[in-house]
Amino acid sequence: MIPGEIIWEQEMRVPNTVVVDGKTYATVLGMVREDRFIPLELVYRPKPGDNLVGVVTDVRHSGYSVDINLPHGGFISSKFTRVSFKQGDLIFGRIKFADEVGNVDITDAKRLPAGKLVDVPASKVPRIIGKKSSMLNVVRDGTGCSIFVGNNGYIWIGGKGNLQLALKTLDFIIENAHKHGLTDKVAEYLNEQGGNVTVPPREEAAPAAPAPTEERAPEPAEVSGLGAPVEETPDPAKEPITEDPAQVSEGEPVVEPPRAEAPEESDNPLMKGGSGIPEKKDKIDVDEM
Amino acid sequence: MEKPELIKDGKRLDGRGPKDLRSVRIEAGVLKEAQGSALVEWGGNKVIAGVYGPRECIPKHGADPYKAKLKVRYMMTPFCSKGEHSRSGPNRRSIEISKVMREAFEPVVMTKNFPRSQIEVYVEVIQAEGGTRVASLTAAAVALADAGIPMTDMVSAIAVGKLDGQLVVDLGKDEDNYGESDVPMAITHRDKQIVLLQMDGLLTREELAQSLDDGIEGADKVYELQAEALKKSYEKEERGKLNL
Repeated sequence: MIPGEIIWEQEMRVPNTVVVDGKTYATVLGMVREDRFIPLELVYRPKPGDNLVGVVTDVRHSGYSVDINLPHGGFISSKFTRVSFKQGDLIFGRIKFADEVGNVDITDAKRLPAGKLVDVPASKVPRIIGKKSSMLNVVRDGTGCSIFVGNNGYIWIGGKGNLQLALKTLDFIIENAHKHGLTDKVAEYLNEQGGNVTVPPREEAAPAAPAPTEERAPEPAEVSGLGAPVEETPDPAKEPITEDPAQVSEGEPVVEPPRAEAPEESDNPLMKGGSGIPEKKDKIDVDEM
Repeated sequence: MEKPELIKDGKRLDGRGPKDLRSVRIEAGVLKEAQGSALVEWGGNKVIAGVYGPRECIPKHGADPYKAKLKVRYMMTPFCSKGEHSRSGPNRRSIEISKVMREAFEPVVMTKNFPRSQIEVYVEVIQAEGGTRVASLTAAAVALADAGIPMTDMVSAIAVGKLDGQLVVDLGKDEDNYGESDVPMAITHRDKQIVLLQMDGLLTREELAQSLDDGIEGADKVYELQAEALKKSYEKEERGKLNL
């Protein structure tokens, strides 16, 4: 389907479509599966309950401005959070409220430890998460990384796993996002890679690490493993590092069930951060494919 | 140069019939860093379009609290033709074309979805051989779709003109220069809205009505190519790849 192409002869109230004279037309590139319209290219529009990964860009008395990959930044009000952030901190939060002019209030924000921030097209996020996080769990299992996906297209990858493989896998998912049975293909892909996971990616990771790079863009060859907390230029290395091993040690062994893993994995940073905010990780599968 | 004989035995200068288009090749997703992009090779024209946004409106006081601002920039490169464009940068002609292109997209791009932001469309003419504005519109429409900017309809553009008293579709450079009239137009595919209509030279009312019909027919052919290009872009290997 391309913009303006007719999808259904009758009126259907589906996102990313427009109804004209009782017929439904596509407004973006997409595919049709029975009564659903799946956009292939999409500009993310914030809605309450969405999970976000962002970067703190400004600290004010009233709260924190956050870069969330949108025309207008998000805002974490000091009223809703007891965690304090610094400029450059990576956060994972939930949209409390998004108004019609694009202001986004974030709640339940917590700081993510040092990791890599990847920018992916927002339309591929549901595919990266998969049904009930199935895809995400495959990637987590296969790479040993912990991954947080924001609906805004920002993805945080950290932990002790094979970062390079995780990035490659994401790439693989994005490339094949419009195909069937992707979770199996990804598993296969990871298994293929699995044989040489230990050797080549490490080799790649080691030499490429030195360049200090900005964290937010998946810029040129930043092939930095977690071992070198390089991307976090503004991050005062101390905090993340203290959190990091703790988090990984918890996160790694507990790999299989999504719901079990998620809290475990993130409980620790929470404790360290000193906030009693409940874990919202499960919310991630809001957008099922 | 003397005026050539534009139509000979029902054939045009390059051997086309009156309703034949030049060869048109459209490719979507050609730029890595742009959110959406397209390359159009239309006869001797080569046009590349890139789309960014919606992003923060700059300058901020120019932001519209109700909808996104559409910014279109059409520009000819200094090397696009025989030296008439030796100075780069905006000029009277390119500013006008930017404006009419913007107005062509304003009815279809759903700008109300993105208040206080701007959507930027940059079109660069790498090589010109008559009909660059229609090639640019075609490229920009594909680039907008490729960027995932919601549009209620697809825009396709075509020029119709009059050569030696006969209406023909898709004028080339010489036909444009030596013909009697040139009517570029942009048409939405679904409801056949005319979003751009300009006319150089003279046509009678009947001829104009006829040229609109011919234009709609030609625009449909362009639409098919646009649709095909967008679909094909998903077969490309590097599509949507991360910068690893």
